[in-house]
Amino acid sequence: MSLLKLENVSRRFGALQALKPLSLSVAPGELRAIIGPNGAGKTTLFNLISGFFPPSSGTISFAGEPITAVTPSALVRRGIIRTFQITQVFLSLTVRENFRVAAEAALGLQLRPWISRATRAQVEAKVEELAEMSRLGPKLDRTVGEMSHGDQRVVEVGIALSRRPRLLLLDEPTAGMGDEETSHMTDFIRRLNKDQGITILFVEHDMAIVFGIADRITVLDNGALLAEGSAAEISANPRVQEAYLGAAENAA
Amino acid sequence: MEALLIYSAFNGLITGIFYALMALGLSLILGLNGVINFAHGTFMALGAYLAFTIEPYVGFWASLVCAPLLAVVLGLLVERWLIRPLYGRDPLFSLLLTFGLAMIMEDLIRTIWGSVGQPFALPAYLNTPLSGSLFFLTGYRLVVILITALITGGLFAALRYTRIGIRIRAGNADLETISAMGVNIYVLRAANFGIGIFLAGLAGILAAGQLGLSPSMGSSLIMPSFVAIIVGGVGSLMGSVLGGLIIGIASGLTAALYPVAQEVVIYAIMAVVLVIRPRGLLGQEGLLE
Amino acid sequence: MRRPLAAACIWIALLAVPFWLPLMGGYTDLATRALIYAIAASGLNLLLGYTGGLSFGHAAYFGLGAYGAGLCLIHVAPSLPLAILAGTVLGGIAGILIGPLVMRRKGIYFSMITIAFGQMFYFIAVRWNGLTGGEDGLTGFSRVPVQIGGHAVMLGPERFYYLVLAVFALVMAVIWQILRSPLGHGFVAVRENPTRLRFLGVAVERQIWVAFAISAFIAALAGALNALLTGFASPDNLGWQLSGSFVVICVLGGMRSVWGPFLGAAIFIVAQDYLSSITQNWMSFIGLIFILAVLFFPQGLLGFSRLKASR
Repeated sequence: MSLLKLENVSRRFGALQALKPLSLSVAPGELRAIIGPNGAGKTTLFNLISGFFPPSSGTISFAGEPITAVTPSALVRRGIIRTFQITQVFLSLTVRENFRVAAEAALGLQLRPWISRATRAQVEAKVEELAEMSRLGPKLDRTVGEMSHGDQRVVEVGIALSRRPRLLLLDEPTAGMGDEETSHMTDFIRRLNKDQGITILFVEHDMAIVFGIADRITVLDNGALLAEGSAAEISANPRVQEAYLGAAENAA
Repeated sequence: MEALLIYSAFNGLITGIFYALMALGLSLILGLNGVINFAHGTFMALGAYLAFTIEPYVGFWASLVCAPLLAVVLGLLVERWLIRPLYGRDPLFSLLLTFGLAMIMEDLIRTIWGSVGQPFALPAYLNTPLSGSLFFLTGYRLVVILITALITGGLFAALRYTRIGIRIRAGNADLETISAMGVNIYVLRAANFGIGIFLAGLAGILAAGQLGLSPSMGSSLIMPSFVAIIVGGVGSLMGSVLGGLIIGIASGLTAALYPVAQEVVIYAIMAVVLVIRPRGLLGQEGLLE
Repeated sequence: MRRPLAAACIWIALLAVPFWLPLMGGYTDLATRALIYAIAASGLNLLLGYTGGLSFGHAAYFGLGAYGAGLCLIHVAPSLPLAILAGTVLGGIAGILIGPLVMRRKGIYFSMITIAFGQMFYFIAVRWNGLTGGEDGLTGFSRVPVQIGGHAVMLGPERFYYLVLAVFALVMAVIWQILRSPLGHGFVAVRENPTRLRFLGVAVERQIWVAFAISAFIAALAGALNALLTGFASPDNLGWQLSGSFVVICVLGGMRSVWGPFLGAAIFIVAQDYLSSITQNWMSFIGLIFILAVLFFPQGLLGFSRLKASR
């Protein structure tokens, strides 16, 4: 059975067909990469799955239940959490404060003007847990806005983990990172998938990462599904080579 | 009763025209400069008082052009030295700054021209009713309607067909693209601010001919202009004009039927629009947010 | 440990105001007014500085508090606590009702709508002559004695100052508690990044609404106290100039600091009092304070550090 299932989902913006009808299925525990040239519709696909806007046609279901027109916050409660291409964190707060907001949101405390000592301990435990998972313990009291880009991305994923995601959507998690930062992030993603068992869907441009860690790869081109398969299948697929990899090599 | 309603609606239309002219200038500045010009009302009052001062020398028609231009000169100085440093900053700051500016200008107007209201002398031939049955239709009111129609028509045409107009509209849509195209965004913004102030000055003179002069005329007309923008839809110039006319007429009619609510009705309309159509009649979603 | 010490010094100085202020040429009512403005601005700052909602119409709730208190004294019962409660509740409920109309809007748009609603209440006060006294304002009430342990205690300027000081302390405690609670963390998160918060499953609009309502309640409380201080409620209590003044008080003192609005209010009230005693054109000078604050102290006199970090 699949965790996430898209059937004939499409999206248009006025005259622009950003995504042609496509079907997609992601199995529980899978680490799935979405690749494709710029404008292929990758971020549109993410926005549809995370409820940023509804599809123009088609249905989306999650764990067997339809989620086609469900709001972002309701999707979050069901366990679909995302990060953004442009890092979305609370910049002028410290890492600890970022995690604390996330933890309080996860525990549903957001409107409480007062919490008991026990609840506060629960929040702090959650903060520690997030620090542990993201390995940001030593940097907990740094202001996020003053940290490196790579660390900010890790903070963002750490925040996303507060909701115990069943499906984590990562939009270009390593964009703009140096080599060392990239390998940290890659390890982090693999750890979340293998150790925590979180199903992950990620958009990525770096082919070394994609072919290095993804269980399966979905290729989009021009708003349509071009191919889907294992790393070996995709790299052997002539259509992919022609439309995407070849073009990328030519460009390089 | 019918005559009373027509009379009141027409009165409201004239007031609505003043709101519309103000809202149009505010909207232009809001769109391209990203600033709520709270001093817009006092620029309007300034235009009126300048016309009041120069009219005895140059006559009514020339003052209609010269006084707004004088206001524009001051407007450009303000834009260059006070507002330009605030572009790209939190809108809180430009709003506060123009707030302070409005206080200073109103106070100076009071000091220079006195705090009591004064009538604005119109040429006698404009002040007589055109016909006995339509007693409320004076030549002056016709002139107000004609000038406003000409100016707004001309402005919309200019925005559509001239180079600077197209750039102002393009800048409205996407400031980064336009500056990447090599357009000097500062000059564009200054020009746009100037146009907005000209409209305010003009509205001031036209309003003075109808309502007389008072130092607080600006602050009493700027609030409905905000409402005109909200009702018409932020980001739509046409919407601002439409919003101004709607609340003007509504206020005029209410003045006849239930006078105490003639101001409140404007805000009630705004509340209703915000509930049923939050982005305003012609507004786009998500602009300036 | 310098902060608690500084706070202790401020509280001691505030407690001793009736003793030292007259020596410096001031009068107790001036300090009372500064505290009342500090209460209103602190409430506003919860929305403005911490939640990032640029309300330019908070005088509306201040004014409603003033009218509510006055009307309660005239028409309901000659009771000071009841009057304060009535004013607070009236302004607070108005905030709860207006909140949903503005909470979906951000930035400039939010400001415009809050200004406009402020004007609506202004015109209601001006036009509803029979109830509000119209342009002349609402008069005919005064501070009635308070019943304490069977004694009727008259509140002169000093005693009233201490009442206001107690309310100020209470408000500061409430704000302090909110800011260290999940509710307050949520406010700050809305200011920092509403998109992120929404994708953590938080209803951002509701958070803004709550901030709006709380700040309206606090502004109304200040307004009620102001009516009792002056013995009168005027349309100016609801006007846009006062709304702007509250904002500039927050900016002047520092929007990211709990003590910022207090500092801003103290400076603003003293400057206003002094300027209006020496010149007819005091409004120009107040306007000048606005402009100078924006150009030279945009981060306020207190609390630079955190704002810098975010740039």
